[in-house]
Amino acid sequence: MTPLALAPVHVATPGGYLLVLALTLPVLGVLAILALAPRRARQVALASMAAGHAVAIAILVELLRTGDALTYVVGGWQPPLGIALRADGLSAALIAMTALVISATGLFARGMQDLSPETRDGRAATTFWALLLATWSALNAVFLGEDLFNLYVALELLTFAAVPLVCLDGRAETMAAALRYLMFALLGSLLYLLGVGLIYGTFGTLDIRILSGLGDGGPPLSVALALMITGLLAKAALFPLHLWLPPAHAGAPAAASAVLSALVIKAPVFLILRLVLDIAPPEAAAFAGQLLAILGASSILFCSVMALRQARLKLMIAYSTVAQIGYLFIVFPLASGPDGMPPWETIAWTGGTLQLVSHALAKAAMFLAAGVVAEAFGHDRIADLGGFGRTLPLSAAAFGLAGLSLMGIPPSGGFIAKCLLLTAAVINGHPWLAATILAGGLLAGGYVFRVINTALASPALPLAAQRVIPRRLEMTALALAVAAVLLGFIPLEPFGLLQIGRSGLATAVAP
Amino acid sequence: MTAFGSLLAATILLPLAMAACCLSCAFRARAPSLLVLAPLPGLLAALLVPDGSSALFPAPFRLSLMLDRPGAILLGGAALLWSAAGAFAASYMRSDPAKAGFAVWWLLTLAGSLGLFIVRDIANFYLLFTLASLAAYGLIVHEQTARAHRAGTVYVVLALLAEAFLLLAFVMLAAGHPDPNPAIREVVATLPASPLRDAIVTLLILGFALKLGLVPLHVWLPLAHPAAPMPASAVLSGVVVKAGAIGLIRFLPFEAGLPFWGTLLIGAGFVTAYYAAIVGVTQTRAKTILAYSTVSQMGLLAVLLGVGVENADPGATSLVAYYAVHHTLVKGALFLAVGVLAATGGARLRPVLLLTAILALSLGGMPLTSGALAKLASKPMLGYGLVSHAMALAGAGSTMLMLHFTLVVAHDVRDNPASVAPAGQLVPWLAVAAASLILPWSLYPAISGEPLANLIQPDALWKLIWPMLLGALALLLVRRFERLPGAIPEGDIVVLAEAGTPAITRLAAFIERADAHLRCWPVAGLLLLALAILIGGALMLQA
Repeated sequence: MTPLALAPVHVATPGGYLLVLALTLPVLGVLAILALAPRRARQVALASMAAGHAVAIAILVELLRTGDALTYVVGGWQPPLGIALRADGLSAALIAMTALVISATGLFARGMQDLSPETRDGRAATTFWALLLATWSALNAVFLGEDLFNLYVALELLTFAAVPLVCLDGRAETMAAALRYLMFALLGSLLYLLGVGLIYGTFGTLDIRILSGLGDGGPPLSVALALMITGLLAKAALFPLHLWLPPAHAGAPAAASAVLSALVIKAPVFLILRLVLDIAPPEAAAFAGQLLAILGASSILFCSVMALRQARLKLMIAYSTVAQIGYLFIVFPLASGPDGMPPWETIAWTGGTLQLVSHALAKAAMFLAAGVVAEAFGHDRIADLGGFGRTLPLSAAAFGLAGLSLMGIPPSGGFIAKCLLLTAAVINGHPWLAATILAGGLLAGGYVFRVINTALASPALPLAAQRVIPRRLEMTALALAVAAVLLGFIPLEPFGLLQIGRSGLATAVAP
Repeated sequence: MTAFGSLLAATILLPLAMAACCLSCAFRARAPSLLVLAPLPGLLAALLVPDGSSALFPAPFRLSLMLDRPGAILLGGAALLWSAAGAFAASYMRSDPAKAGFAVWWLLTLAGSLGLFIVRDIANFYLLFTLASLAAYGLIVHEQTARAHRAGTVYVVLALLAEAFLLLAFVMLAAGHPDPNPAIREVVATLPASPLRDAIVTLLILGFALKLGLVPLHVWLPLAHPAAPMPASAVLSGVVVKAGAIGLIRFLPFEAGLPFWGTLLIGAGFVTAYYAAIVGVTQTRAKTILAYSTVSQMGLLAVLLGVGVENADPGATSLVAYYAVHHTLVKGALFLAVGVLAATGGARLRPVLLLTAILALSLGGMPLTSGALAKLASKPMLGYGLVSHAMALAGAGSTMLMLHFTLVVAHDVRDNPASVAPAGQLVPWLAVAAASLILPWSLYPAISGEPLANLIQPDALWKLIWPMLLGALALLLVRRFERLPGAIPEGDIVVLAEAGTPAITRLAAFIERADAHLRCWPVAGLLLLALAILIGGALMLQA
């Protein structure tokens, strides 16, 4: 039991302060909102977003410039006593994605609030801005954390910021949905915390990097990992643990749905990825990965069919989220490269990451477009929206472009992602996963086309909008959808950025 | 990039740029009248650019283009038809309020379908194939009738299925290749030695057969093509189905040959040709008859492709292209003719009907028409055995079907009030008809390697005429059955597939019930525990 290596596990890098900024800037924003008058909330939030955006870009630039991970050791105390923050290529990509989606939803929310000036500076609006920034900070903390307990705190912060976002409007049904979300997320947290306790009791450290060097951790590590992964699965709403997601994501206001569906559920997925790849012993990880892939594949097929059956637009998008999350779990068996090639050098790793990012952009675009539709017509029943493309051409276009990415139609990020995953499935000999990927694409085509068909229809009685929607509001969704499509220009090979800062872990695990 | 390269690039980029310009209101209003210009770079490229020219776009576009002989032949014919049909559409859809949206779908389909003939790399082939397939949906449902929606739904389901087959095939083809986006020619050269060969060829043939409309994957075609507005029907039936032909030309290994798959294609082709002719003759709508004729003709293209692959004959690709361009122009002209006839009446009816009949019989192989040239050019390749006789019989079937079409269309328009079709429709139609009669003559010596004089020898003429007589006889026989017209619904066996809908609905309802069950607290809680145990077990077993 001597994980206390003499050489420091984490060496702080010059750009490390950027990671602290990424965590604290949104929190400072929240504090400022609480301190200042409610009517200042949106200015503060938007200013924090601009600053946070700059920090995300700076992290990305610094990472590409040095070609190595950024590390910050809090207070100079080395783990296992202290806590480290670390951004490798994957974390930096996710931080940039988060900044983009949060800023876009922020702009959208501002436009949406302008539609009803009387409640613009009300309680709901101010709460929204504070929660949005808190969510952001929590997400960054998850992506940067190196310490399992620190990550637990980040996850809790995320849950407690996300749950109220669901029931901002205070209707009874959204309250019920939010409570359901809260209860199940707490169950997940409990399991995760149990695992953390087990690991700390056995190994005396919670630092992922130190744990990854342990090699075979024996039954305690296996049990702990199983508890933590299951807890995270509950928070990620993977089939069959998705009971809370459809009502919560469909009931929330559009801007909140976008953040919840695009970003919040990605945090537990990211942690599962780290647990399986960085901590679990490789052979055990391979077997558990198969199990996760089976869940992922069932999620794709089952929830895509459910999405097809939904009568309401937002419920359809919510079920599509559960289905699309499935793709992230079939990465595990696909990323086991030939001849001990580390996972992050495989195309499946790039494919999985691309799927995560492009889904975030596309799904946010879809929810924002659906929000515009619901705002304009007062409901989101697909059957009664015939011809909405005439009234809201930009929203229909945004929905269609985002749909291309979900279906995996070129040119789009979703296409490149699915193409890479499919290639990995063919090379590694997983015909059933290949078939699942294709079937998922077909079913996604079904539910996207159902909406597009409705948008293009010309009913006898033209659809009249209840209120005028300014173009700028529609542009936000369109911009996100275009970003998802532009991701399709990434080369069809393992992407260099995603390998930065991974290799140190590899050598530690290899026998 | 050279001048030739830019011309190739403009073939794809001009229509795309025009579609993008439709975002501006001012351009959108004028877009329908500019459709005639969009395919012109393609036409120029087919005429001017020498075989073997290529163009490369640097990263991140990764687009590479190349013009070869079959590509140039197909590109020329297709661009001509697109241009003429674009002019026709400007006049035909003058008073349609949704014509701007129609123009956008038109331009996107145009860019995809012309690009397919010149694209060199595998990823962009898939991109353009998808563009042509999915944008065509907008053309099919344009009229927004119940028929159009049903056709559009069937079309989209099968088009997406074809996309899925092809994506998997392409991924398997490119999987072992060092370059993630290789040239089609390079990967196809490695296909015969690939361990996945049979799986890849199966998927390729399924994917492209869905596009070509080989029986039993043809069901969308007789629904979709007649549902679109007249000019769109012309390009869908004339050009867009050729995406399947160019796909098979590009992706089957004609140099190494695949005898088994060649035989399979020949068989599927003949079944398609006969089946579509028989079902077509029971149809009562002119456009549907033409659609069945397209299915039948695509069957014959599949036969030619199959013979080429069976005999490892790379020269077959040019012949297939020659046959395909004949069909492109004639079928395009026939659809436009239905539009022109609908607006014609009185004394002008007779000459228009006469030209329509000539065009129709060209598909049956009437001497001196492009159909005759195409049949004679392919004779040496087919040999003089069973395949050759079966091909002659298919000519009889085509003649029967096209005579039926002529009679139906003549019956439809006999009571038209005296009028003349507007020049905006008449001129494009005449241009395509003239091109269909002239263009194949100019290409014939280069394709077949025989002088034109051989075409008018009595021996050659008799070979063409006896199937036509047989076809006419067959039609006389068929018309004696009074209950035959309308006996088989449009899309024939799609009706059987649609009968299976309740089963699918039941399955979906079952999934919905299962979901409601899974989302109960007790069930979800139990599942949570079960998962924890399962994952723990999995981790411990291997650790």
